[in-house]
Amino acid sequence: MKKPSGGKWNKYLVAGLFMTGLAVVLGIVGFFWTPYSTTAMSASEKFAAPSLRHIFGTDNFGRDIFSRVMLGLSTTIVIGSLVVLFSASIGILLGALTGYFGGIIDEIVMRITDAVNGFPSILLALVLISILGNGKQNVILALGIVFVPSYVRIVRSEFIRLRDADYIKRARLMGVSRMRILFVHILPNIFSVFWVSVMIGFNNAILAESGMSYLGIGVQPPDASLGKMLSDAQGYLQTAPWYALAPGLTIVWVVLGFSLFSEGIRRTQS
Amino acid sequence: MKYFIKKIITLIMTLFLVSVAAFLAFQIIPGDVVTTILGTEATPEREEQLREELGLDKPPVVRYFNWAEDVLRGDLGRSYRYSKNMNEMMPVAELIGDKLPVTLWLAAVAVFLIILISVPLGVLWAMSASRSGRAAHFMDAFLGVITQTTMAIPSFFLGILVTYLFGILFKLFVPGRYISYQEDFAGFLGYLLFPALSIALPKIAMTARFLRNSMLTELKSDYVRTAYSKGCTRKRVMYGHVLRNALMPVVTFLGMIIAEIVAGSIVIEQVFGLPGIGRLLISSINTRDFPVVEILILYITFVVILVYFLVDILYRVIDPRISEK
Amino acid sequence: MIKIENLSVAFDGTEVVKNVNLELKDGEILGVVGESGSGKSVTALTLMGLVSETAEVTSGKISFDNIVLREAGKPLDKALYRQYQGAEMSMIFQEPMTSLNPTQRVGKQVEEMLRLHTDFSKEEIRTKVLETFEAVGLRDIEKVYDSYPHQLSGGMRQRVMIAMAIILHPDLVVADEPTTALDVTIQNQIIELLREINTREQNAMLFITHDLNLARRICHRIAVMKDGRVVEQGKTEDIFQNPREEYTRKLIEAVPSRLKRRISAMCKPTQGGAAGFGTEKAADKEAAGEAGNVETAAADDSLVSVLQVRDLSVFYQDGSNSLFSGKKRHCVVEGASFDIYRGESLGLVGESGCGKTSLSKAILGMNSDITGKVVHGSIRPQMIFQDPYSSLNPSKTIGWLLQEPLRAAGKLDKSFAMTKDDMEAAAYDMLHRVGMEDKYFHRKPSQLSGGQRQRISIGQALITKPGLIVADEPVSALDVTIQAQIMELMQKLQQEMGLSYLFISHDINVVYKMCDRIMVMKEGKILEIGETEELFRHPVQEYTKQLLGAS
Repeated sequence: MKKPSGGKWNKYLVAGLFMTGLAVVLGIVGFFWTPYSTTAMSASEKFAAPSLRHIFGTDNFGRDIFSRVMLGLSTTIVIGSLVVLFSASIGILLGALTGYFGGIIDEIVMRITDAVNGFPSILLALVLISILGNGKQNVILALGIVFVPSYVRIVRSEFIRLRDADYIKRARLMGVSRMRILFVHILPNIFSVFWVSVMIGFNNAILAESGMSYLGIGVQPPDASLGKMLSDAQGYLQTAPWYALAPGLTIVWVVLGFSLFSEGIRRTQS
Repeated sequence: MKYFIKKIITLIMTLFLVSVAAFLAFQIIPGDVVTTILGTEATPEREEQLREELGLDKPPVVRYFNWAEDVLRGDLGRSYRYSKNMNEMMPVAELIGDKLPVTLWLAAVAVFLIILISVPLGVLWAMSASRSGRAAHFMDAFLGVITQTTMAIPSFFLGILVTYLFGILFKLFVPGRYISYQEDFAGFLGYLLFPALSIALPKIAMTARFLRNSMLTELKSDYVRTAYSKGCTRKRVMYGHVLRNALMPVVTFLGMIIAEIVAGSIVIEQVFGLPGIGRLLISSINTRDFPVVEILILYITFVVILVYFLVDILYRVIDPRISEK
Repeated sequence: MIKIENLSVAFDGTEVVKNVNLELKDGEILGVVGESGSGKSVTALTLMGLVSETAEVTSGKISFDNIVLREAGKPLDKALYRQYQGAEMSMIFQEPMTSLNPTQRVGKQVEEMLRLHTDFSKEEIRTKVLETFEAVGLRDIEKVYDSYPHQLSGGMRQRVMIAMAIILHPDLVVADEPTTALDVTIQNQIIELLREINTREQNAMLFITHDLNLARRICHRIAVMKDGRVVEQGKTEDIFQNPREEYTRKLIEAVPSRLKRRISAMCKPTQGGAAGFGTEKAADKEAAGEAGNVETAAADDSLVSVLQVRDLSVFYQDGSNSLFSGKKRHCVVEGASFDIYRGESLGLVGESGCGKTSLSKAILGMNSDITGKVVHGSIRPQMIFQDPYSSLNPSKTIGWLLQEPLRAAGKLDKSFAMTKDDMEAAAYDMLHRVGMEDKYFHRKPSQLSGGQRQRISIGQALITKPGLIVADEPVSALDVTIQAQIMELMQKLQQEMGLSYLFISHDINVVYKMCDRIMVMKEGKILEIGETEELFRHPVQEYTKQLLGAS
């Protein structure tokens, strides 16, 4: 992610960059290496409280929670990114075409997006999973489909707004081709709005993914997942509150980081 | 009037489409229902018999209309999983019947909390954000940090935090000890307060923030200057002119998050062990009990669309600019 | 009596009003004239106690009947001001639509004045409001009383604002550009109403405007402001006859000097046999026959037609693009016929909604639901828009913007294709022609001022050398002095390149200055078309007289 050109740094951007940066680094490292094995159990170290040795403590099997959080983080970030990539690119295409040209296709796409948008997103993802089956790929596909309408909506409304802008009218008068108007004249102007919605979309994807794995649907063991850790930890809330706090606060950290980051970007642009 | 008829037609059409989608989606699923119910050891004759009983030998279109006809008549079908007694499967209607009120009440309490807390909070916030001075400035920044953080907490983790704080540390309720509404309605509501709070908190933050921004935008309007030029006090400007205009987009916003509240209650039921339709839905998805899933999806869609419809009407009532057309 | 003495107002340490002295007596209308950013509005808002809290009065004081309302170094005394606001001094704003609360019935909004400052009973309040509505010339007052602002027309809304301002018979009424947002004929009515009120109530009125001409019509005295200072102040006629300041002179010059006539000998409206050439947009096939004899007339330069419009009607589909709503087809332009000749400027005037925009869109081929015939040269006419801030793509550089028409033309027709170097050279050339330096080539529109953007806009429209430019209010979003510069540029380019303009404007002064002929539209029909001077002196139609009478 590069700093948007022309803008100034602000404290939202700094805090957001720091928080997301740390999370992304931990996640990437966690993909290859963790301080302890994430599967090795140790009866003697069950429910160890956070210490220098295990900074987030250990769980009911004596596994190092920090290592497991790192692994879960990498799963979360990979899923979040792929979901955004999938839904945003389809969203841009559909939104641009329907917004600019309107007509009957627009009408149909909008009816569908309205219906999907009105439906709780996590619920739709659950239904899709129950059709597609569990597993990482299916989670990405399901969430990807679920979030397409939100991008269509934003891109479409931006295209509708700009389609009648004076400078687009002039481009038409000059005889610029339709595709060039769509992707050379209009598209660059919606990126500021689109960036922010991508970040919000990333957060929503993370929240939905962790919510689903908390409910035991979607990502399955041995794939690590923060949501699953939370549901495992819930039973030990009284004896080992850190077990639940570690993955929970990690999710909050990532989501907060991204929303601060997007707020920062929004402010540099306005 | 014409508008409402149009709206109702759209509503019915959406429901129809969703029902088709829900029904067909579960027809293309890999895996055989019959095997799900009888297990792998059943005789081919028994399988054939069940297939006929369930109407699975007919083409999907016929099955859809049979099913839709039954649903319209009030027969919601039978569960594949739950049995009523030894030789009868549980009717879906009965299965859902006593779980519905739990979810509805949960969502209702959550909405109540959201409105009750976010409106005054948003007004207070807008007041301090539009004032100069250190105290006001601090209040603005403080509320900003608090809401920003609250919005980042996923509802199930918030539920766990609430359980830990109010249940385990402060002992205001016993986690997991659900009080049935048939037994003790007041106790039931008391127990619901905490899950509802877990659903409501992030939405309160969002709504308060939305109202703040809406009020600040309105404060820049020309009519505010006009009101001051008449000699209105700040209070009179705020409550007499700004608030009503600022609340209008908030109504739409609240309508929009209704779907999220419903989704939130499904997850939160799991956290607090509430026997609502959310938990039923999750377990039905896990056990591939599709007749139940279909009905629940239809039901939730219906509620969400209905709420949108009501919000739309409400909006038309409070905004004279729209009710014109 | 209101006195503003040595007043200076600063925002964040920057003074926007500097040592201003103004005095207002009962029964007098004082005009404060200046361009945007001259400090006229800040002065008025400070006087009214409505300036934002971040503003600081750094010197001087404001007094009302010898009571000091505001003084340098002291914060705004809101409680004191509230006794005066509404009751002793009131304000009329520019935009009556946004200045009224959109969700409150207007009667109630006017009532609030009485609720705040009197202890009348409910019935008394209602009677008084209705009386005042009648006094400001509103009809159907009971209905108006219960209307929301959006249900009223612009003129009615402004009357409601005026009723609100005078209901308590204040000693001072501040009117901040009260007619700028209104149509010309409504403008006149509102100006008359304000004058009448002033005579009747014998109150003091502060009339703020950017339009010196308007100020001349209503004000007893005028103060000219520039960069926060009052540069000249005096009796209205004195200011006009002997302006002391260079700046005032410039402002006065922006008002029509009935001199210039470039191609005055030329062209009676729609002469037969005029030539059309090149592409033809004919929806009506049978009329197409007469556009045949092309090149012959081209020898006589002054009479070459660059645009022929014959019996053109434009239709408009009502209703949104929804599945349910039925559509209605309205005729917004009816049977328009006229010509535009090479090198001439044809002015198109009329009030909003008269069909000006629909007509121009049809000429440009942006509207396909037409009957009749539009014939223009081989290169499509281009357009210059009103708002310089929205007519340039913000994500591109100036150089890119100037070259894009060439790229598009090259793709449409291979014979126009140019090499990259040639296009860049052409763009630089155009940049110079519109009076801008090389350094702007790599800048983005956001780094340019409104006037500069409008120059680029003009350059972009001209770079493919179309014979005809449709200019839709090209200067009305600009300040008076910038307006003059842009008009000068347009005239210069017209001579250099032999251009024709279709010049659409609601501003009669601008049209008078720019155009050789003027076409008057009303309710979709062309009412009258004639040479500028002729039309001003001897308008045939009553409506034209009304429309032009404004200046």
